[in-house]
Amino acid sequence: MFVTEWNSSALVKAATKAGKKKNALTPMTFSLLHATDFADRLLYKIIPPLKAGMIVVADRYAYTAFARDAVRGVDRQWVRDLYGFAVRPDLALYFRVPIDVSLDRLLARRVKLKFYEAGMDMGWSASPAESFRLFQSRVLEEYDHLVDEYGLTVVEAAGSITEQQKIVRRHVSALLEDAR
Amino acid sequence: MTPTQDALAPGANGGIQPGRYYGRGLPYLPLDDYPGRIIAIEGSDGVGRSTQIRLLRQWLEVKGYGVVETGWTRSPLMQPTIDLAKSSNTLNKLTFVLLYATDFADRLEKEIIPALKAGFIVLSDRYIFTALARAGVRGVDRPWLRNLYGFAIAPHLVFYLKIDVESLISRVLQARGMDFWESGMDLKLGDDIYDNFRAYQSRLLREYTSMADEFHFRVLDARRPIDRIQEDLRQQVDTFLTQSDVSTPAPEPART
Repeated sequence: MFVTEWNSSALVKAATKAGKKKNALTPMTFSLLHATDFADRLLYKIIPPLKAGMIVVADRYAYTAFARDAVRGVDRQWVRDLYGFAVRPDLALYFRVPIDVSLDRLLARRVKLKFYEAGMDMGWSASPAESFRLFQSRVLEEYDHLVDEYGLTVVEAAGSITEQQKIVRRHVSALLEDAR
Repeated sequence: MTPTQDALAPGANGGIQPGRYYGRGLPYLPLDDYPGRIIAIEGSDGVGRSTQIRLLRQWLEVKGYGVVETGWTRSPLMQPTIDLAKSSNTLNKLTFVLLYATDFADRLEKEIIPALKAGFIVLSDRYIFTALARAGVRGVDRPWLRNLYGFAIAPHLVFYLKIDVESLISRVLQARGMDFWESGMDLKLGDDIYDNFRAYQSRLLREYTSMADEFHFRVLDARRPIDRIQEDLRQQVDTFLTQSDVSTPAPEPART
């Protein structure tokens, strides 16, 4: 098994970090940088283990970009076409959580919400928590469309971790049984 | 985007009216009829683009136009990353394409669009066509590429400095020699840098030639002396600026 995380390629890290630090990213450069990161990981980290018959677990996939970039005002179809080079996953799990729960969880863990995560670049609110609520609510709406469009498997994530994990294992087992 | 019914200005590209997005564009940045103009100069490495742009800029400024220059991989956001990627040879063809597209997007939003709004003439040393040619040669899907650059604005004029591979080789060797990327060494087309350069640049020239029709380039014979090319360039730019409504030069900053 191999795990790959969103926005983790060494190549793009410098530019993303510099851009985020100066809050210099526009919706378009934000979108393109994440696509570049994804392309880099796809070729070096995702395709080789797939060819070797391994299971690749991706923490976020192109759907994250579809949802976020659309909320930032990038053309929906353009982003979908942009990721036309991505491998379609065999199983896409979407952990759905009400906005209040996700905000509570984040605030419990960390002191400060990140600028782009809270959608502060959109200028909708000067308060990070309020901006997060506005931005991520719209992101959740986008995800709801993606569930139908791409057949994402929804896992209700407001419940306990044990409960969620049971569900996840059931879906993964079913997939692996089918593959045999 | 549906091309508008307005008469296409000379040099209009791919059926899209100059000054408009080629494709889906940036929905959060709708374009108006900005007073500025984009003039792009395309052509191979070592063909003499920078010299021509420098001379053209001087001439335009003397005539009273405000000029802004933009060039390939010059965005502050992306230049360090692109340089790093090139020096370590870790670029694969997709990341190559996407890094360039990010660089272009950054310059489009931060340099080109503001300059167009302010009535400047944007002289672009290479435009999206360099990206299309290099990626096309590397086998990246052409419709995907054109869709990717759907956020680019169609320039008002695209000049293509055309040269044959023999003349290009002697020029590059006399000037500074062949480098890794200009020779397409990543494509492994031959055993040594000379063979690679010849094969790679020949393929690039073929890509440019096919785009010349697709995007209606104004083709200039780059084998001629510098001043002859410049004369040709100035004459065509002059005609264009006189015919379009850029007859009033951009206001000069107040001088005391």
